[in-house]
Amino acid sequence: MLTSAHKPIRSATEAPFYRPVTNEMEVFRAAARRGLPVLLKGPTGCGKTRFVEAMAHELGRSLITVAGHEDLTSADLVGRFLLTGGETTWVDGPLTRAVREGAICYLDEVVEARQDTTVVIHPLADHRRELPLDRLGVILKAAPGFQLVISYNPGYQSVLKNIKESTRQRFVAIELDFQPADIEAEVIAHEAGVDLKTAQALVKVGGAIRKLEGAPLQEVASTRILILAGALVAEGLSLRSAVQSAVVQVLSDDPDVVRALGELVDAILPRP
Amino acid sequence: MTASDSDSPDRFRFLGTFLAGRPLNVTEAPAGQAAYTDGRFVFVAAGGSFSEQRREVVLQSALLGAGSLDHRLLGALRRRPKLARRYLALEGRRVLAELAARMPLAAALNPTGEPDTSTADESLELARSRASVADPPEWFGVIRPSVMLGTPATQPGARPSDSDRRLKFELTEVPEALDDSDEEPGAESKILKLFENPLYNSKTVADFLYKLFGMSRSPGDAAAGGELPTRSMRRVDRVGANARPLPVPLHFTSSGTPGSAVGVGGALYPEWDVHNNRYRPEWCRVIDFPLVSAADVSAADVQHDEVLRRRLSRLGLGPKLMRRRPDGDDLDIEALIDLFVDLQAGYSPPEQIYVERRKLARNLGVLILLDASGSAGETDPHGLSVHNHQRRAAATLAVTLEQLGDRVAVYGFRSQGRAAVHLLALKPFAQRFGAGGRARLNQLQPAGYTRLGAGIRHAGEILKTEAGAPNRLLLVLSDGFPYDDGYESRYAEADARKALEELRSDGVACLCLSIGASTSTDALHRVFGSASHANAPMLADLSPRMDDLFLTALRELAAPNRRSLR
Repeated sequence: MLTSAHKPIRSATEAPFYRPVTNEMEVFRAAARRGLPVLLKGPTGCGKTRFVEAMAHELGRSLITVAGHEDLTSADLVGRFLLTGGETTWVDGPLTRAVREGAICYLDEVVEARQDTTVVIHPLADHRRELPLDRLGVILKAAPGFQLVISYNPGYQSVLKNIKESTRQRFVAIELDFQPADIEAEVIAHEAGVDLKTAQALVKVGGAIRKLEGAPLQEVASTRILILAGALVAEGLSLRSAVQSAVVQVLSDDPDVVRALGELVDAILPRP
Repeated sequence: MTASDSDSPDRFRFLGTFLAGRPLNVTEAPAGQAAYTDGRFVFVAAGGSFSEQRREVVLQSALLGAGSLDHRLLGALRRRPKLARRYLALEGRRVLAELAARMPLAAALNPTGEPDTSTADESLELARSRASVADPPEWFGVIRPSVMLGTPATQPGARPSDSDRRLKFELTEVPEALDDSDEEPGAESKILKLFENPLYNSKTVADFLYKLFGMSRSPGDAAAGGELPTRSMRRVDRVGANARPLPVPLHFTSSGTPGSAVGVGGALYPEWDVHNNRYRPEWCRVIDFPLVSAADVSAADVQHDEVLRRRLSRLGLGPKLMRRRPDGDDLDIEALIDLFVDLQAGYSPPEQIYVERRKLARNLGVLILLDASGSAGETDPHGLSVHNHQRRAAATLAVTLEQLGDRVAVYGFRSQGRAAVHLLALKPFAQRFGAGGRARLNQLQPAGYTRLGAGIRHAGEILKTEAGAPNRLLLVLSDGFPYDDGYESRYAEADARKALEELRSDGVACLCLSIGASTSTDALHRVFGSASHANAPMLADLSPRMDDLFLTALRELAAPNRRSLR
């Protein structure tokens, strides 16, 4: 059996830890009261998913998450007929289930899906609040409490994959970015179980990498990988080697870039 | 900038970029010179140890970051080395002390306690005064105001911003000529023409001149309003990293026959000069022409490779609807009815009753660029030269792709100095790969050298204009070193890499195969990157993973843009 001296990172019943930066929680609550769909923008690993989890917990609704990928079809969202025995039976997709139950449906990285897939959410995302199931020949009214949340990472998109203007204009947008240094340090300290001083050092590293202008990195150091580094520290690794494995080696495969990042990190971390 | 020179000061470039708050490269200054910066590079003293070079980078980039080297301040230091030195001593200590609070490394560097000044202006003031200022330590380097002032802060050709990337059209309304007007359009005013300045012109001046000299109607084919053309041109000494010269097309006219009618094309291409970090515009003369040697059709035999065909046929790039599948999004009603009829009749067929969308549609244009240079002439133990191997591979690939319904072209390429880079069209996109073409390919004799960059650029141009398919792939078959007159090792590699970068940014995927080469193919590996290069003794050895190779090369385009610093 696994026994660990450290306290578990988060138990199941506890509310998800989210520290608001500006008014995003108020905006979400207001949108939830009106049933307005929400578009979350922000870089990878900045806490979009955690924010939705926290809000769903606070509002007491269940959360159904669908991760977007390029083969995601509308049938994957809405549902399909399956043949069982001699009959065809309809099986609800995650979106239909959320519409019926009045849950929050969170479509993660929705632009990864093909554009003809994203249009099925259109009638749900405006005043109609209904989901036409043309295969069943019914129009499903959204149950009270149903809310659509999609997330998207503006920096990550190629020209071919962008969110359609007609989709985008149905949403209330909440922009999340990496949190200010003090809040981020608090988050890392809480999530990884390290002391505030270590968390602050990690935040400094993250901040420095984010500020690199014109660097050949595809992504910057997210809060998520800083938490990973923190978790390594909590497990007894030295700060330097934790950052090396969880941040520097993760961000690039190019030996030149890794070396240059290593030098930057080395200069910023406290002297051993 | 290869993996081998691991102690190059280039490794400090992120540290410098972070401290300066702008993209910064680090390189070694010529021997005997102290460290300095020009705003884009930090030059560190050559031959210094690791920690020496690091502290030089820290200081110089911190000066940039703290604004100590702003143009306003530098003006005062120009041609006054003594003042610059005193200023550097004060400012260096000040920025290091400021940095020490934020960065542990700087705290370890700070030489002598508290700084005497708190702002850059104060430092300048004190440096001008008669107060005694301790000389800066050696590693502070020097400030070179003239070099700094010569570097503009922002340059055209810099990384495009989001608004640049957004596609947008500005429509200027062109008024239609009125049919019922019998008036001749007024002649353009000669006087006004005198004041049309193509370099710079302001609207106010134009308006004033019109008031002075009277208006004229705009000629029918011009935009309405009859304004003086207003435009401006900005002259810069240096262009940014992303700017590149365009190819200049060549026009052939021989005895009244335009070259393009017989399939001859060509252009002058730029070449990347890695030593000076700039393009050499119109440097390489590239000509493509059809190979029309008489061919013995009996030599048109091409090996078939069933594995290759099967692998490449799996290559799917777009969605395609498939019926009667065992699993899928929707029920295939027709199949369902058939199934039930069969079941009622007492026969139970497999339940393939779904409609599935799978990525199977292909819309692929491939240009096979075959290295026909002399270096491919060496032979392997079986008496087959590298060139033979490559030629066979090209033929097999071309035939296979053509069978699968893709658009294929085969070009051989060789060079003889920068004025004579030749692309021999063995099979253009528009023609079938008939017996004549195959025979000509089989009888192609190696000669000349390999100016890879120019070849790639022109092949890319052909692909872009003639492939006629949304997915485009340049397949280079080459054996080793790009080599030509004045085109060697690092220079050649950098140019070829640059050419590939240009191509990828234009949406053309690139893949390189080295077949039968006994020599080391490290150079190609570095040029194409590990994902887009493969080598093997025979084509058949690569066939089982050809679909992977094609897909990785094509997928590289869909990846987010690398924000390149180099």
